[in-house]
Amino acid sequence: MNVPTHAAASRNADRALSVHGVVVFLFLYVPILLLVVFSFSDASNLSVWGGWSLRWYRKMFTNDPLLRSMRNSVVVALVSTGISTVLGTAAALALERYRRWLGKRTFDALLYLPVIIPDVTMGVMLLMWFTTINWSLSLTTIILSHIAFNISFVAIVVRARLANLDPSLEEAAADLYADRWQAFRRVTLPLIMPGIVGGALLALTLSLDDVVITSLVQGPGSTTLPVFVFGLIKRQVTPEINAVSTVMLLASMVLVFGSLAFQREPRAGANPEAP
Amino acid sequence: MTVAVGLHAVTKRFGDVVAVDAVDLEIADGEFFSLLGPSGCGKTTTLRMIAGLEFPTEGSIRIFDEEVALAPPNKRPVNTVFQSYALFPHMTVAENVGFGLAMRKVPDAELRRRVGEAIELVRLGGMENRRPTQLSGGQQQRVALARALVNRPKVLLLDEPLGALDLKLRQAMQVELKDIQREVGITFVYVTHDQEEALTMSDRIGVMDAGRLLQVGTAEDIYERPANRFVADFIGETNFLDGVIVAEGHVEIGAAHTVRARTGAPVGTAVTLMLRPEKIQLHHPDEVVDGRNRLEGTVRHRLYFGDSLYYEIELKSGDTIDVRVENVPSLPRWDPGQRVAVSFHHDAADALTE
Ligand SMILES: Nc1ncnc2c1ncn2[C@@H]1O[C@H](COP(=O)(O)OP(=O)(O)OP(=O)(O)O)[C@@H](O)[C@H]1O
Ligand SMILES: [Mg+2]
Repeated sequence: MNVPTHAAASRNADRALSVHGVVVFLFLYVPILLLVVFSFSDASNLSVWGGWSLRWYRKMFTNDPLLRSMRNSVVVALVSTGISTVLGTAAALALERYRRWLGKRTFDALLYLPVIIPDVTMGVMLLMWFTTINWSLSLTTIILSHIAFNISFVAIVVRARLANLDPSLEEAAADLYADRWQAFRRVTLPLIMPGIVGGALLALTLSLDDVVITSLVQGPGSTTLPVFVFGLIKRQVTPEINAVSTVMLLASMVLVFGSLAFQREPRAGANPEAP
Repeated sequence: MTVAVGLHAVTKRFGDVVAVDAVDLEIADGEFFSLLGPSGCGKTTTLRMIAGLEFPTEGSIRIFDEEVALAPPNKRPVNTVFQSYALFPHMTVAENVGFGLAMRKVPDAELRRRVGEAIELVRLGGMENRRPTQLSGGQQQRVALARALVNRPKVLLLDEPLGALDLKLRQAMQVELKDIQREVGITFVYVTHDQEEALTMSDRIGVMDAGRLLQVGTAEDIYERPANRFVADFIGETNFLDGVIVAEGHVEIGAAHTVRARTGAPVGTAVTLMLRPEKIQLHHPDEVVDGRNRLEGTVRHRLYFGDSLYYEIELKSGDTIDVRVENVPSLPRWDPGQRVAVSFHHDAADALTE
């Protein structure tokens, strides 16, 4: 008797949910679409549509300070990601291996701290540190700061992967005549690689994104792209900003799809039958 | 006898836990040796110390006369088949099997040949390029075996290798493992908590409990002449009757009966008489039994097992014992409540002092 009522109710719920889904999608993607479309507008401000043109892309690629900040961003992101990936992975390995150590909990808490504390606090902290040791602010201080917060993120991602690793695999490698390094190289490393790559991509994204910490520890002429754009917006808003944002969007999409492809790859190669 | 593995006063402590307690053991070259015992008795720890995955707190471990107690696993001429198999998930079957040879820098052509042979030996031909996740449990087990055997270890260590398989497959693999061991002729040290597995496969068995090695012997030794009550109880089914030695070779049970038993204990010693259910016969109470111990009692229960019948008999002493009788037409059936005589040969009754 109440079966049809129930069915109707669940049909209504379904409809409501799908409408909700569409709304969320519009909410997320309409601004992005507008941003991209207006980057191709010929008008000088964003309130009107001025017809299709590549004017702002041309302007962007002749804007020297902007290009410099872009280059800075890439350098900071690559260097800090490289170093923090190595250090973060090492930290994760150490934490996992010496689980039973007394200081482990403390070490754990210390690792999570940079993730939890607000960016402003972190930035001020680092700035005070650099001032205290009299280190003049430059691209190097930005890189060091990015390494400082990225190590934690990499370590956390890699540890999640390590925790799922069967410890008897390394023992099996040792039993099969591998020394410690070979066991790590041939067994542990390939198995935690997706975690390392995931951690590195996260570090890369966080580094490319960061405004707050970077703006506190940057030196003269060492601005990164997001900080530069932030400054630009305060002065005037032109479709050039849209053009820059579109390029950044494209870059991050390449990163994301690249990482997805990488993480799928090992399984795809798993199928061949017979020699 | 060439000693393949020798443990001398080996003790392993984890903090306060004594996992292995002063174990002395010699395993002969070519022997199929099983370590048998209940969960947590220290079997795995013992095996891991032979493999080098754990180091003894005290004592010496020798493999073919070489002291290895503190040598790392990659420096020992042994290989292990892990309980969970521990196959490398990112490698194919062939890569898994070839891992040990690659680590020892065996030339490519020889590596390929030996990997092929090992895969044939465990009958996995045609699966060389599969990943472990694409194999059944039984097939993974064979890969683990091939991966260890391909290195031609002097001793193969196996930790409950069949534990994860279902009964049918386990029985098939028991036979196969035994055949493979005969074929390759190397020493197997086999850990199991399955007594049937140990009894049927092993040349000799070591029974462990609470870190201590209680008895070492052939399946027959251990079943027929258990060293103590624990071993008797752990292996097979047993009746235990408390008694006292009243004369040389004579045990008094509950002041009601005196029986002859196998014992060297002096008069006055409290003993536990051990009696296997299948070594006892039932008779009509009036029947005369010559040359055997004879007790009287009443049938309490009868259980039907198809190939056999179990009778629970209450003796005059108040003790109850189980009797297993083959289900053959020539033997009479006894009903609950019926009075019967119980007989057994004095050699079948062991008076245990511990
Ligand atoms: N790494 C360790 N740290 C602390 N205690 C341990 C460790 N390994 C084993 N033990 C303890 O040592 C004892 C023997 O363990 P072991 O694994 O050798 O038992 P087992 O006979 O193999 O049991 P099972 O049949 O359950 O595998 C147990 O009490 C166990 O809790
Ligand atoms: Mg075990």
